Amino acid sequence: MTILSEFEYTRPKSLKEALKILAKEKGAIPLSGGTDIVPLLKDGRIVCTTIVDLKNIKRMDEIGLSRDKKYIVIGSLVTFSELIKSKLIQKHFPVLMEMAKTVASVAVRNRATLAGNICSAVPSMDSGSLLMALEANIHVESLKGKRVVSINKWFKAPRKTVLKRGEIVTSISLPLINKNKYAGAYLKLGRYQGEDLAQVSLTILSLPEKSYRIAFGAVSPIPIRASIIEKKFQGKDITEELLQEAKVCLEKIISPISDVRASEEYRMHMAKVMMERGLEVVKKRYHGEGPEYGVTHL
Amino acid sequence: MNDFKYIGKSIGRIDGKEKITGAAKYVDDIDFGAGLLYAAIVESPHAHANIKKISTKKAEKIEGVIKVVTGAQFPFRFGLYMHDRYIFAQEKVRFVGEQVAAVIARDPKTALNAAKMVEVEYEVLDPILTVYDALGNMKDDSNKKFGHNPKKMIHPKLSEYTHVPWFFPQDNSNIAHFRKIRKGDLDGGFAQADHIFEDEYTVPRYAHCAIETHASVGLCDHSGRLTMWTASQSPHTQRHLFAEALAPLGFSHKDIRVITPYVGGGFGGKAGVSMEILAAALATTVRGHAVKVLWNRSQEFYNTYQRQGVHAKLKIGVKNDGTITALEQLLYWDAGAYVEYGANVVNAAGLSATGPYRIDNVKIDSVCVYTNLPPGGPYRGFGYSEFLFGLESHINEIAKKLKIDAVEFRLKNAIRGGDKLAYGAAMNPNGLEDCIKKVAKEIDWGKKRPIDPSLPHLAYGKGFSLFWKAPAMPPNASSSCFLKFNEDGSLNILLSGMEIGQGYFTVMAQIAAEVLSVPPHKIRCETPDTDRNPYEWQTVASHITWSCGNAVKKAAEDAREQIFDLVERALEMKREDLYLDSEAVKSKSDISFCLNFKDFIINGISKKDGSFRGGPILGRGMFMPEFTSALSDPETGQGGKPNVHYTVGAAAVDLQVDKETGKIKIHKIAFAVDAGVALNPDLVKGQITGGLLQGLATVLYEDMRFDDKGKLLNANFTDYKIPTTLDIPEEIVSIIVETPQMDGPYGARGVGEHTMIPAAPMVGNAVEDAIGIRIKSMPITAEKIALAMLKEK
Repeated sequence: MTILSEFEYTRPKSLKEALKILAKEKGAIPLSGGTDIVPLLKDGRIVCTTIVDLKNIKRMDEIGLSRDKKYIVIGSLVTFSELIKSKLIQKHFPVLMEMAKTVASVAVRNRATLAGNICSAVPSMDSGSLLMALEANIHVESLKGKRVVSINKWFKAPRKTVLKRGEIVTSISLPLINKNKYAGAYLKLGRYQGEDLAQVSLTILSLPEKSYRIAFGAVSPIPIRASIIEKKFQGKDITEELLQEAKVCLEKIISPISDVRASEEYRMHMAKVMMERGLEVVKKRYHGEGPEYGVTHL
Repeated sequence: MNDFKYIGKSIGRIDGKEKITGAAKYVDDIDFGAGLLYAAIVESPHAHANIKKISTKKAEKIEGVIKVVTGAQFPFRFGLYMHDRYIFAQEKVRFVGEQVAAVIARDPKTALNAAKMVEVEYEVLDPILTVYDALGNMKDDSNKKFGHNPKKMIHPKLSEYTHVPWFFPQDNSNIAHFRKIRKGDLDGGFAQADHIFEDEYTVPRYAHCAIETHASVGLCDHSGRLTMWTASQSPHTQRHLFAEALAPLGFSHKDIRVITPYVGGGFGGKAGVSMEILAAALATTVRGHAVKVLWNRSQEFYNTYQRQGVHAKLKIGVKNDGTITALEQLLYWDAGAYVEYGANVVNAAGLSATGPYRIDNVKIDSVCVYTNLPPGGPYRGFGYSEFLFGLESHINEIAKKLKIDAVEFRLKNAIRGGDKLAYGAAMNPNGLEDCIKKVAKEIDWGKKRPIDPSLPHLAYGKGFSLFWKAPAMPPNASSSCFLKFNEDGSLNILLSGMEIGQGYFTVMAQIAAEVLSVPPHKIRCETPDTDRNPYEWQTVASHITWSCGNAVKKAAEDAREQIFDLVERALEMKREDLYLDSEAVKSKSDISFCLNFKDFIINGISKKDGSFRGGPILGRGMFMPEFTSALSDPETGQGGKPNVHYTVGAAAVDLQVDKETGKIKIHKIAFAVDAGVALNPDLVKGQITGGLLQGLATVLYEDMRFDDKGKLLNANFTDYKIPTTLDIPEEIVSIIVETPQMDGPYGARGVGEHTMIPAAPMVGNAVEDAIGIRIKSMPITAEKIALAMLKEK
């Protein structure tokens, strides 16, 4: 396929320079990995006057601890492959590595970035439920200044976020969890073992004092945290009865659609099955058992 | 059998180095220089519409556009078995994506942009998207009224179309071909039965998904010579169809040259002529310039061929002891908008829809129905995968209901050499029974995996399926070969079969190597150029090893006889003592005699007086089966011998089903095929692995979706899934059984398509074994299983 539209391509060396171009040009769009934008350009589903390639901006491709040592900071040029390999991620957020391994194929992971994933904000995105469960903060910058947006407030609708024209995501920060005393699991439903877009995705964290964080992707217009279920589970042993109650409750929380990938009925069914299985995995992992991080659970 | 030097040995591929290093060229790799023109196609957005008006003015004005071409310039029909296809749509469009016009421009971008400026005015008609909608009247099945649907004809001029004599189009209907088989006494057969079981099964459409998309370049020079470069399985057939289609413009066969380099996957999709006709026609409008038509992935899905969908109605009579007394199988094929090739799939399936079973009383209706979906056509398996899903599922259900072991039931009814086929001819000798027994043993048939109490959501099952297939081809499909020696005793073999990844070149080299005692690595096979390489019908039907193998063997024997002639004449040696060994002529009576090929094979043998005898040794070989005939009684199918032979086998799978998610994991597959003689066992195993994966994908996740207007919704790999390395079964055991095919080269027969045929029914049977639910429509996706389980609860 050929890109039929015409546009300028620029690769600024600094963030400031990039922000200036984006502020000046109405039709400019930023590009990090390009794995979403380039196919859209080929399909003629987006047009732009300028592509501002961010890849030459220094230090935006780093993963590190924040100065106050309370956060892991992931630069917006960090790819999914880099997340998988990062020792820091493996130590503090192995569940992030578990998610990253399910993103598309190796070749795409070598290009695609976490920040790009949440900026594209397609409902089937892999990272949405995970970042919701990890309570991530999105760091945004424009010529007017910086702001930090909670992931809870980030997504507005399919392919729509609170990011304004002229703004760039510079990094994503993840608050460290209580000396890593938690267990997580990421589950993704695909049609086969090869790369696929999620039909349901789910992140579950098990925290001390029988506290849970549960978030879903691909089963509502934007990623969604199942707070009602979290509250139900809070401080309790999850009995069969409680689990059934949660499954019923889930029907009101998520709103899956039918499309060529899966029917509404199957997505709803699988969201329940995956929640049950995810809970089993985090329970085992919390006690130092269960499967190692990075395997697929379905 | 074991004293062969090269036959039966797993020789490494002779095209391996070219492909590994990237030296091998495919059509899109060929550099045609800066003057190359590019075509973009204007496609129909409607599945069924009348073309009212086409305006090309705006597109023609765009800088860089050379020409805009419409159907008005090419009012010609063409096709392989039936002339029902158009170069560009005439008056009417019949599927979403059909070519209406083309823009030729200096670069692809200009062509694509200009194609958007071509204005086509349509009168939209109701699309006919299902076979039952297309058939219309189903109630009265007296022959005249069945399918009567004069007001909804997709091809109103059907009765004018020319076709091969073994097709039977029905007037005033959408039935392009009606294959009937009537054998024995059907009513009597059912009367003998203790039980009669009826059921219905559905198989949807599928796409080939070759990694190389279709590509075609045409160059018509000012003298009227048309050269075509195509990604094709069928260079000579293409030349023939181009010549037929373009005859009104004054082209004859000698004026047309088709060059086919390596092909990146065919699976039937690159047989015959589909989009290539566009490059041929367009080239005639821009003489002196090469013009390229390259399909993108979406076009590859909707405008080449698709595997046809089928709805099968099965009725089988059995005795209490498991003997099948009668079979009725009605097959209604969704053949799409054009059936010039696909109607022969329907024909082939109709002839063989008994499966590899001995059944005395048979009725088969195999009906080729036009719909407003993309054209159906050849796909690995050629109809057999489609009818076998229903048949082998139904057989399994019957065995279960009779409480007879499914393997025992199959052994009891399995066809044997000499049994009478559905059309009356005799079955060839075969090792089906041996295949069944070996597969049953390998898969540990009858033993179920114990349920793991810690994994209560997992269920285990085993499934069995037989398979068979005959090459489907005209009775006189032929192969030929030229074989040229070089100065050093190496060889170039000219043939026109296609190396499409199956290892054909290697096997042809092995055959020549065996006859001439030249190591295969000293032999090259040359990709076809119809000017230089001799005739081959097509690389389809799993017949090329058998048919072209015979031609190569004859060419090598011809060369060998010339060598003996020469040595006898020049050196006055006794001809009957001569034999070939290690690239030399030797004598049984004089062990000291050794005349190396390199010392005479081009330049002859010198006499004492300094003169020479001989000259370049050139072998030629030709093969055409002379015992086949497609002529038979249209009402019964009896009387002809349409198939040369069948390749048979059996396969079984051991799998697990997750009862909650519906996901299937395949632990093991055992697959046995009677290859006649396996000329290269590793290549046979390659076919088994590849074919099984392709077959498993069709049953597990490939799932073509159309909207209610006939538009294909998943013409891409994002939503049409084909297997990756992560989706390979844990274990595949390949078993090769050898009952020599007496008229095959060294006893070989084809195995290429057969390897995917049993995949779907064996999985369906194993799923039923695991969870007790029979899924009657393909694919058997995780979703389908999970939702069926939910319904059971």
